Amino acid sequence: MSQPSRPKSPDDQTVMYIRVKRNKTTYFLQCVPSESILQVKEKLEELIDQPVNDQRLILMPNREVLDDSKSLADQKVENDAIIALTLRKDDNEFEEVNIIRPNDFYQSRETDGGSNW
Amino acid sequence: MKKEDTVKLISAEGFEFVIDKKAAMVSQTIRNMLTSPGSFAESEHGEVTFPEISTTILEKICQYFYWSLQYASGKETEFHIEPELTLELIMAANYLDT
Repeated sequence: MSQPSRPKSPDDQTVMYIRVKRNKTTYFLQCVPSESILQVKEKLEELIDQPVNDQRLILMPNREVLDDSKSLADQKVENDAIIALTLRKDDNEFEEVNIIRPNDFYQSRETDGGSNW
Repeated sequence: MKKEDTVKLISAEGFEFVIDKKAAMVSQTIRNMLTSPGSFAESEHGEVTFPEISTTILEKICQYFYWSLQYASGKETEFHIEPELTLELIMAANYLDT
């Protein structure tokens, strides 16, 4: 009667990506919602050569520091979310969140529309 | 995720986007750059610079690559494009053969 549906493995449905930003660099990382923050940091470790202990991931824009032991889903990290990366400095403190944004994106259009047709 | 599986795309303003090679190859232009070494100097060290593509557009394009992979695997979601980006986005997509 009804068509048999193709069994889908959980991973197909839930593969997502996040954008990890620091200064002028954005890392697009593929992951699944059940992954832990620690696993995400391990992936970053391979890319940036910084041990997981020296990494701090902060969910933007609310600036929530993400917990290594919890999963992405637990902490409401959604697909395409922006996560700030900060590294531990020499004095053992973490640096401040610093994401540089390009100034060519028009945030608002109160001034003239700039149309020159 | 290994470093060798990723490629770095650099915008006109020098902003860097590190993405999976699989995502980058959604663009035929980038696929050609990466699969014929020696003919494109920029593709050495897995970095490609696009002096004519701005950061905002390049980021949107990276998001498109990942959306495209997700869509192909069955997850049909919308890809939202801010209207003011469309012209530049079309030109960049044309150049990137995407």
